[in-house]
Amino acid sequence: MFESAFRFLFKYEPLVFEQGQFVLGATRSMWLVALVAIGAGLYVGWTYWQVRVLQGRPRLILLATRTALLLIVAFTLLRPMLLLRVAVPQQNFVGVLIDDSRSMQVADQGSGTRADYVRAEVGTPEAPLLAALGQRFVPRVFRFSSSAERLQAPGDLTFQGTGTRLGDAIDRAREELSGLPVAGLVVVTDGADNAETTIDQPVAGLRAAGVPVFAVGVGKEQLSRDVQITRVETPRRVLEGASLVVDLVVSQTGYAGATVPLTVEEDGRVVSTQDVTLPPDGESQTVKVRFKAGDAGLRTFSFNIPEQANEEVARNNRREALVEVRDTRERVLLAEGEPRPEAKFIRQATATDDHLNVVLLLRTAMATPNAPDKFWRGGVESPDELQSGFPTTREELFRYQGLIIGSFEAAAFSPEQQRMIEDFVAVRGGGLLVLGGARALGEGGWSGTPLSSALPITIQGVARDAILPPLELSVRPTREGQGHPAVQIADTTAGADAKWKELPTLFSVNAAPVASLKPGASLLLSGLDRSGREQVVLAWQRYGRGKSLVLPVQDSWLWRMHASMAVEDTTHQFFWQRLTRWLVDGVPEPVMVTVAPDRVQPGEPLTITAEIFDREYRGINDGQVLAHVTTPSGRIEDVPMEWTVEQEGEYRARFTPTEDGLYRIAVDGVRRSGEATGRGGTSLRVGASDAEYFDAGMRASLLRRLSEETGGRFFRAGDTALLADAISYSGRGVTVVEERDLWDMPIVLFAVLGLMAAEWTTRRKWGLA
Amino acid sequence: MDHAPEVGPRVKPALLRAVVLLAAGVVLGPTVLAQRGSRSFAVSTDNQPYDGRFTFVRMSYTTAMSFGRRGGGGAAWAHDYPLGEANFLKILTAVSNVPANLDGTNVLAFDDPEMFRYPVIYLVEPGYWSMSDDQVTALRGYLQKGGFLIVDDFPYWGWDQFAAQISRVFPNLEWKDLDVSHPIFHSFFDIESLDIVPAYPALGERPIFRALFEDNNPAGRMYVVANFQNDLSEFWEYSETGSYAVGETNEAYKVGVNQFVYGMTR
Repeated sequence: MFESAFRFLFKYEPLVFEQGQFVLGATRSMWLVALVAIGAGLYVGWTYWQVRVLQGRPRLILLATRTALLLIVAFTLLRPMLLLRVAVPQQNFVGVLIDDSRSMQVADQGSGTRADYVRAEVGTPEAPLLAALGQRFVPRVFRFSSSAERLQAPGDLTFQGTGTRLGDAIDRAREELSGLPVAGLVVVTDGADNAETTIDQPVAGLRAAGVPVFAVGVGKEQLSRDVQITRVETPRRVLEGASLVVDLVVSQTGYAGATVPLTVEEDGRVVSTQDVTLPPDGESQTVKVRFKAGDAGLRTFSFNIPEQANEEVARNNRREALVEVRDTRERVLLAEGEPRPEAKFIRQATATDDHLNVVLLLRTAMATPNAPDKFWRGGVESPDELQSGFPTTREELFRYQGLIIGSFEAAAFSPEQQRMIEDFVAVRGGGLLVLGGARALGEGGWSGTPLSSALPITIQGVARDAILPPLELSVRPTREGQGHPAVQIADTTAGADAKWKELPTLFSVNAAPVASLKPGASLLLSGLDRSGREQVVLAWQRYGRGKSLVLPVQDSWLWRMHASMAVEDTTHQFFWQRLTRWLVDGVPEPVMVTVAPDRVQPGEPLTITAEIFDREYRGINDGQVLAHVTTPSGRIEDVPMEWTVEQEGEYRARFTPTEDGLYRIAVDGVRRSGEATGRGGTSLRVGASDAEYFDAGMRASLLRRLSEETGGRFFRAGDTALLADAISYSGRGVTVVEERDLWDMPIVLFAVLGLMAAEWTTRRKWGLA
Repeated sequence: MDHAPEVGPRVKPALLRAVVLLAAGVVLGPTVLAQRGSRSFAVSTDNQPYDGRFTFVRMSYTTAMSFGRRGGGGAAWAHDYPLGEANFLKILTAVSNVPANLDGTNVLAFDDPEMFRYPVIYLVEPGYWSMSDDQVTALRGYLQKGGFLIVDDFPYWGWDQFAAQISRVFPNLEWKDLDVSHPIFHSFFDIESLDIVPAYPALGERPIFRALFEDNNPAGRMYVVANFQNDLSEFWEYSETGSYAVGETNEAYKVGVNQFVYGMTR
């Protein structure tokens, strides 16, 4: 309606004014006439000023109206006009890109699907939109989804594409049309791009080539009734029997507040069910999902919410994740500086976990002038292990995945050992946990050491006496700790909440106020002392490639031994098993292999990346590395990998799977010296994905950005009447300059009439001639 | 003097006690008198509050009659108290870096919830030991959760009474005799031989170290070690006086240190 009114008043569409260049077309003589008119106007004004009969408001009004009239006359005499560069009919090409992906099957365009609209408007040369374009341009029609190609026949549109790569489609069209006069690209799509890369590069290419995009957005920006599992973050590998807590993001429209069941299946077997209350429309909510990893092997976990009544898209209610469940035994070195129960009970708690081996290096006597430190070793795998005490080489220390340091003062470690401890986290990627005790943390003189850099809390000052009497702390999980896998003390949230309230207090002899938490560190457990001051009980942070935790209490074993804890109570065992598993979770191995993207279809290439380290976790750059790819049919292909040069120890290769199913990739190599590297691997599932059904709403913002940054314009489906004009007036391709006069706009006439009426009314009111 | 059977037919406890009491005056009286002294002990007899440090905990119990000393008094459980543990602590902290509380020691009953804050506890004269049902339950829970009991000052005639109490705690567990290869004898010092001279003949022919294991598994966790026919604390108590040979006293300290370090750490 606005456009109609605008056209009525201003003679042309707003588009013409947007694209046109305003000029005054008067000849020299007309300039003279105009000047005379302006001079006359000034004379009129002066004469009015002299007339004493007129005073105040009437004088001003009459002066203004008469002056305005003369200005309008002068303006029209100057011949105002718009210059437009208009595409010459049939001299320019227009690329028409039609989205042929599965998301176009969504039934939210009018009374039909998006595909119905596309077929109706551009599906055939006679279709209205394509016909309108055909009258002025030479259309070249493409269809695109994961790839783009020329549309040979209307029947080629199947809307079965399992991906949408808008950027690739644009590049393809631009390349095919390069060298031709192109007025623009028309992209008919819902914009639900799910490519790994952004459209920045294609947009830059279009701008460089001067090709504008006119995007036609099909479908609703937000579906009316839809529940979607937007994202699930699962670890790539876990230990057998691991209790997992994963973050699952759910969003919805049309079902706000409803409670729906969320089911987790492992290879088709239900392993967990919980109820989820859906968030408000359009909002996302993160849900903590708990389940256990079963037997070792590659497992597919699927997360499902049943289809809801009248739901527009049901295929986005399910997400799958491939997880490698490992039957390995992770080794953790527990270095304890003095005989005390904490180490005993940690080993007792973890002894029943077949996937953890906590090796204890216990100092039982301190060095004297005549004798070195005395140690007892528990859980060692060979008589030589830790024979000389704490490791003195990186190779020896980096054999462990986790390191726990108890009440062990800094002075007991050489400067090189202290640096090794820091590198254990930062370089090796190990998990470090520092316990509280009289010889730990600041009290143990660790301030200013490399280890203190790795810790999630700041420790200050010189070695000092432990806090005695110790601080008695009531321990509770923080908000972040409540769902964290490291501090699960029961199988359910409700069970854990109840237990936390019943646990006995713990004691700390170390100053670790919450204020000492470093930026970026996370507080999982806190303790309140008798004065109400809050202390850190468990905090962690990422440090380099690894993670660093601090547990500045000295007697978590009270959660086992305290008189109030029943013999059958498993809190302490759960806590330490899960904390220790999380400590070593994700710790890199000497060869780490990843693929990107992690889900492709047959024929789509992917990149295999391997990080290869020596025993000191220094990158190996001189390896002849091969990726042994085992296809679902059992065939093995050896793919050579090249060092990337950008990063120490990083190798890459491209591979294109051709079969549906599970691929396994194993990487190993040989160094120039002939020494073999380690071996690592990964897996991926190749096949059609349901990515098209996720976030299937029309992406108006993306399409608008694509259009505006290239000098084009965004249209909504059903509102494309001016599309052909917009392309014509874009000034691209083969164009001719047209003049559009403005002096005869209806609004000029209305303005003149309006001013005359105002003067007449004023005269009448004031009784003037 | 008869050897007490290692695991033999039981004599009725009441009759045995009567015989013992009669013999006590003849055999042990002079020894006790010799042990009486006018030594003053500068160790606090108040229990120490828990602060996370190792605190020596001696267990008290109700006996039918007083025997021995308790700061000059008489309960059996207080034999060698407090000097025995005071001297032991000095040695323990001198040879090891056990973070021990030297301000004092604790005396607790088996039904005192505080017991659970101290993972190693010490009991003497088990021949006079008896427990209530609640105490039996408490001790069972304590040991099953990870606690460790050291039983000392253990004459041969005390076995039946002791075993009877323990069988109330763990009816299905069986005592195992330890040999020198067991890790408890290498937890700090390397004990090379168990041919240890007893403190005095009245204890029995030779010390035998017996243990009770979780699930009767000798390779598993030890609940209790009993210094049968032995009295380590006797050596500890008199180590300053020269009443016993230096070598034997050293062995008593070594075994004691080993047992406590073992209990704290395994």
